[in-house]
Amino acid sequence: MAREEIQSEVTGTVWKIEMKVGDAISDGDTIMILESMKMEIPVISTEDGKLVEILVKEEQPVSEGQAVAVVETA
Amino acid sequence: MSAKTPIEELEQRRRWAEEQGGAANVERQHEQGRLTVRERIAGLVDKGSFQEIGKLTGSEAYDGLTLKNVTPAPYVMGLAEIGGRPVAVGGEDFTVRGGTTAALDKRKGGQGGFAEDMAHHYRIPLVNLIDGAGGSVTSAKRRGHAVFPGVDSFDRSIDLLGEVPVVSAVLGSAAGGPAGRAILSHWSVMVKGASQIFAAGPAVVERSLGQKIGKEELGGPAVAVDKAGAIDNVAESEAHCFALIRQFLSYMPQNVWELPPVVSSDDPVDRCEDALLSIVPEQRRRAYDMRRLINLVVDKGSAFEIQPSFGKALVTCLARLNGHPVGIVANNPMVYGGAMDGPAARKQVRFVELCDMFHIPLVFLVDVPGFMVGLQAEQAGVLRDGMRAVYVASQATVPVVTVVIRKCYGMAGMATCHKRGLEFRVAWPSAEWGSLPVEGGVAVAFRREIANAPDPKKREQELEEELRAYGSPMRTAAAFGVEDMLDPRETRPYLCRFVALAQTRLKTELGPKLKAGVRP
Repeated sequence: MAREEIQSEVTGTVWKIEMKVGDAISDGDTIMILESMKMEIPVISTEDGKLVEILVKEEQPVSEGQAVAVVETA
Repeated sequence: MSAKTPIEELEQRRRWAEEQGGAANVERQHEQGRLTVRERIAGLVDKGSFQEIGKLTGSEAYDGLTLKNVTPAPYVMGLAEIGGRPVAVGGEDFTVRGGTTAALDKRKGGQGGFAEDMAHHYRIPLVNLIDGAGGSVTSAKRRGHAVFPGVDSFDRSIDLLGEVPVVSAVLGSAAGGPAGRAILSHWSVMVKGASQIFAAGPAVVERSLGQKIGKEELGGPAVAVDKAGAIDNVAESEAHCFALIRQFLSYMPQNVWELPPVVSSDDPVDRCEDALLSIVPEQRRRAYDMRRLINLVVDKGSAFEIQPSFGKALVTCLARLNGHPVGIVANNPMVYGGAMDGPAARKQVRFVELCDMFHIPLVFLVDVPGFMVGLQAEQAGVLRDGMRAVYVASQATVPVVTVVIRKCYGMAGMATCHKRGLEFRVAWPSAEWGSLPVEGGVAVAFRREIANAPDPKKREQELEEELRAYGSPMRTAAAFGVEDMLDPRETRPYLCRFVALAQTRLKTELGPKLKAGVRP
């Protein structure tokens, strides 16, 4: 078991959170969608496991490299 | 000393060389979290393969006619092997006078010298392990005159860039000459927390500009790699750095007169990943993970990303397809929708030239809406940088396959194709292209018609709908405007076949590539 932080690739705002804490998650799943430069930028899990924390709220600005969620790996 | 046989004297002199700058200086180097140059070479090359050259060099101390000691010259170099292939390797010994230059009859290496000459003469790759401070005003006092810039010529280092792979690792604080030499490489790397590189260090900056700034802040990876793109990659540690160097060289031929090495691959050529079917979202505004796409297509674990943190609207990787080295140039829709800005264009130019020089076929995975637009991009010279990418793509002679994943627009789109070659372009069903996207394009082309319509907004939408219908990639394929459409799952087998085919062509173009013209 390890806690892996999932980071935002871009600077933008949180548009829609697609998953909730406690959900099972696989590598490639979309956790949330950000909006940046008129594009929808998905935040994609790079781990298999369980989503244990969401660190941002919808409409909140985020910056590149900011941790936005935590996945506990199986 | 006098009682010793010549063989004993030789052995004694070799031991002095091994002692480097003495136990205290070696310990200080370790306390800084850094290895000595001898440890570095041992960590980098195949075990036991290092044949040192010039081991006896140094300044001798005599008591009358009796030799007391030899302080080694602050540069260690020789011949070694990496992955079973010969390389020239050299680096400053920071434990001897901070790796400054030595007064020898000829230079061992660094800013030109025997190591560089050996790489040129035997046509083998060169690895620079840089840990030296460069020029010092004190040399003027020693010589009795100031030295004109270029007394240690960069010409050999410059010529090598057209002959053999050159790798530089910045392993300490590099300023001046050593910093310049790091840039004269095909690929460069620095170590997080341990390396800095700048034209001039903090003391000079403070004196010149009154700016107080630390060396990490001025020339650590956050500046030199992420912002400036002066150094290509960052390693987590020196050991990681050596692993990266070995990996980089594994894709490279020994020189431009040879083909890059083909390895055996146990990843099936016909691996058709279902995940490719859904990787591009149906929503046109939604980005996706291009790196994931690359990894689904190339041989498993073979992708080696160059400049991952610079010009992030583009992803450039060395990789393999059925064991054949290939250069992947892919737009990254996560950053500015993949629009080509100055840094992304400079990254593409450098990578395309690298692959062209070393006969590595190129695969473009295209999702580019065009050059970056806006005042900031224009001020930064996006047109010149972008057109240089078009120019360099046009001059490349290595085989190119273009796979349009989604958007392919405008001049940035032109930079992904090889019109002078076969102009071989295939597309996924998600592809769309044109001079410029329908959105925005319609507003400009039909400005009067839209303005005069009873409901301008509605008319604009109607026109967009109408034009979008013509945008189906299948229509262009029917006109042979692209050569084929692929089911995304077929991408790997398709590319494997054409990259293998390219080998025949590549053999006919071995040797240096001389290009005429002034790049825009």
